[in-house]
Amino acid sequence: MSFQILFNDELKGFYKSNVMIILWIGLPVISVLLYLWSPDTSGEMPFSVLFATMMSSLGGSLAAIMITVHLIHERSRHVYELFLVRPVKRKDLLISKFLAVFICVAIACVLSLLLGLIIDYFQRGSIPDEIAKTTFESFCLSLATIASWCAAGVLIGVFAPTVLVGIILIIFVVNNVTSLALLLPIMMKSTYSILYSVILSAILTFIFLTIAMLIFNKKQF
Amino acid sequence: MHEFIVFENVSKRYGNLSALDHVSFNISEGEIFGYIGPNGAGKTTTIKIIVGLIKEFSGKCTIADYSMPDNFINIQRLVGYLPQDVAFQEWRTVDHALKTLGKLSGLKNAELEQRIKAVVNLLELTDVTNKKIQKLSGGMIQKVGLAQALLHKPKLLILDEPLSGLDPTSRYMIKQTLTELSRNGTTIFFSSHILSDVQDIATTIGILNKGRLLKIGNLNELKSEFFTTRELEISLSYLAEGWRNLNALPGVTGVEQTEPDRLIVSIDKNVDMDEISHYIIKQSLELDCRIRSFKPVIPDLDDVYLKYISEDNKS
Repeated sequence: MSFQILFNDELKGFYKSNVMIILWIGLPVISVLLYLWSPDTSGEMPFSVLFATMMSSLGGSLAAIMITVHLIHERSRHVYELFLVRPVKRKDLLISKFLAVFICVAIACVLSLLLGLIIDYFQRGSIPDEIAKTTFESFCLSLATIASWCAAGVLIGVFAPTVLVGIILIIFVVNNVTSLALLLPIMMKSTYSILYSVILSAILTFIFLTIAMLIFNKKQF
Repeated sequence: MHEFIVFENVSKRYGNLSALDHVSFNISEGEIFGYIGPNGAGKTTTIKIIVGLIKEFSGKCTIADYSMPDNFINIQRLVGYLPQDVAFQEWRTVDHALKTLGKLSGLKNAELEQRIKAVVNLLELTDVTNKKIQKLSGGMIQKVGLAQALLHKPKLLILDEPLSGLDPTSRYMIKQTLTELSRNGTTIFFSSHILSDVQDIATTIGILNKGRLLKIGNLNELKSEFFTTRELEISLSYLAEGWRNLNALPGVTGVEQTEPDRLIVSIDKNVDMDEISHYIIKQSLELDCRIRSFKPVIPDLDDVYLKYISEDNKS
């Protein structure tokens, strides 16, 4: 019950603070601009794949920073005290925030991919199977990466003392850890490298969230 | 009366710092308990233990016979809490914050709407219900904080500095509200640095210093340890040269001029106050002093507080 209320609330919060709109419009626009400025003009890389790659890195880091900044800010202002004296599970506070941000960024990801596919369609006259497959794989990878970024954002938001420390940790630590999960299976050149990357990111997401919940449960406000 | 809060030998340490040191008190149902002490005395720590935000402490704390923190879940609906420096997420409007917090307290649909309307009217927040909380003044935010604490009609109200940042009219209105709630059976525990407010509404007062509870009781009980009404204050429109002669009166142990137009006369503890007052007035008039007012010196909570804290710091 409390989870439902908190989750709806978080979504409403992102909507009201215009973060959602900026994500949904801003990220696809940035992807298009970067493609236009990219030195790869041979057209080998489809729009949709570039957009998915963009989303996993830019969208992921944005999502992590959003969650971290929100959590640290709200923690330092003692916002959670009003929730925690009510019948609210501490883990619900974290999971609702994680899910709200993940869903927002995932929708931005879908919008970017759709835009990419539309551009590819107009450029090539059709969407070849190979591009459709690559796009789908990129989409799955993006979602898995964004989930691990978001979870890392929750973890850092729970323990980082200041926003500055939180952002530094995201840039230097989370960036490398999540990239490793993404690239390790690809470097192994396995047939199932995409699947392994997705599984590894899911495991990372689970670990980050579990540690975050353990720390948050122990925290005294 | 039934003991609503029982705090028994409660201690809490933060590393080497002792925030609470074997603090014990009982608070009866319907009582207004004023908790005072200097900054860092341990007031907020006490409050956070009662509301379940601090779960690691030694000693016993029970609320409505439920022991904390094990039965935290049973007391959550009984307690309304206003933290010090109450804060809300920045994007929330007053109405939205109250709706969410009301729902989380278990209120639903019509009852929720009716309660929001009631507290908004009670605390005169009607004009700001659709405004973003971050755009409100500090005093208004404090009122919204109090509104969320009252929403679910709690049996126990825990208020950390509820009157800070409020204008005199709002302070008066909130004191009236708290007194009324107490009359209807709500137990109120509040901390404050505004001692006159504590004096106005608290039925019992606890003085805390350096994590130790120095004294607990009603104002008269607190006064009795240090103060006896053995001093008289004379305010004069004309102070005659010979005022020191009042010293010669039997039963007078000292006369001090505290201000150009004010004398404090100390009286021996074995002398009847009414009788000596008569002689002091008579003698003053004979000395050609012109009396504006004449009254016993009654210490207020500020005097009591300062006395307790300074005595404790000396020891």
